[in-house]
Amino acid sequence: MTSIEFDDSKIILHKNESVLDGLIRSGHDVPNGCHAGVCQSCIMASDDATDISAAQEGLSDIQKELNYFLSCQCKPSTSIRVRRAKPLDKRVRGIVVGKSMIGKNIISLRIKAPLDYRPGQYVTLWKDDSLARTYSLASHPYYNDSLEFHIKYIRGGKFSTWVWDTLKVGDGIDIRGPMGMCVYAGDKDQPLLMAALGTGLAPIYGILQDALVKGHKASIDVVIAAKTSEDFYLVDKMLELQQRNDQVNVKFLSQEESAGFAQHANVYDYCKETFAELKNYRVYICGAESFVRRLRKQCFMSGASMQDITADIFLAFGR
Amino acid sequence: MSVYEKIGGEAAVNAAVDIFYRKVLADDRISEFFDTVDMGRQHAKQKAFLTMAFGGPNNYTGKDMREAHKHMNLNDEHFGAVAECLVATLNELSVAQEYIDEIISIALSVKDDVLNR
Repeated sequence: MTSIEFDDSKIILHKNESVLDGLIRSGHDVPNGCHAGVCQSCIMASDDATDISAAQEGLSDIQKELNYFLSCQCKPSTSIRVRRAKPLDKRVRGIVVGKSMIGKNIISLRIKAPLDYRPGQYVTLWKDDSLARTYSLASHPYYNDSLEFHIKYIRGGKFSTWVWDTLKVGDGIDIRGPMGMCVYAGDKDQPLLMAALGTGLAPIYGILQDALVKGHKASIDVVIAAKTSEDFYLVDKMLELQQRNDQVNVKFLSQEESAGFAQHANVYDYCKETFAELKNYRVYICGAESFVRRLRKQCFMSGASMQDITADIFLAFGR
Repeated sequence: MSVYEKIGGEAAVNAAVDIFYRKVLADDRISEFFDTVDMGRQHAKQKAFLTMAFGGPNNYTGKDMREAHKHMNLNDEHFGAVAECLVATLNELSVAQEYIDEIISIALSVKDDVLNR
């Protein structure tokens, strides 16, 4: 006899019954579609790895890394704990432990909170019940015991103004997450291309560190774009990572002029020429929507498989 | 045995989907319909479409097809362009002509629904 634990309830599965069917039979609302392992509507997650591998056919490396599985295809042989792949609306309380300028108009905000995450994921930060914004994690649990965010000051932006002017070390802040699938995954021998615009560097920095911690072997090209050379940040840290790791190659591309460390080049043209053949690459792209859209399409047309392109779009909020 | 199974099932769909999607995005007659913000979701839709066209497991009904396409004002040229991309993809993967014929006849079977006729 096998059972599922889900949302504080326990469901005994009938013989040959799938996790999805068991959950639906006991009244749980789980999105579902084809019941054939194709449409991926019924994706759930479980950290009990033994029983889910047979139900991961067709999932991406990243989905597997996050312990996702297709609940319609999963008939466990032992009891299994399952959860929704998307987190519930549950917040944790964090404390601000650091706030410092790290670039022109960019603050590093560090928060201590009981939150498990993978580098590159994002969370929602709440000022109060009426004001929240989503930020990517720039930290890595191996190196940092607090969460780090790169907060760009937006003129007239309610949340960033509050962070800049009012929030101080010792204050409490609510956090929900983590969310997102922009994480290091897959084959250590697969070359990586990481592209960041602006504070898109936050998740890229986390993913890069994770790749190195996990012993990535193949080359890692990091392309960082900004409007002018003044807009770059984390320059010393990125150059240090490049120096310490032979396989890491960092390129700063200023869209408007050149400076010592930065080359003056259009990021799309540069990538098209330098990475004309992206077959077998894994690609990470993080930044504003127009940047991600255009570069993602370009990388796909240059031969990267869609499964191997991971993008994190920073949507502009209303102010 | 369905043509889906004959050409290798899900592995065949996985091999075809990137090639197919690249072709439709490069085709000016139809690229606008496929060039969306959520490229990942669009890619998943193409995968579902190919699974259906190959005669694989799917829950498509004529009604779904009609609903999904009815506000897009599609015509014969659009349908033909998608079919061309599909055939070019299958040729690139060296799928035998008899299977290609079978796949095209499946695609043609939903034509009236797609074009809302």
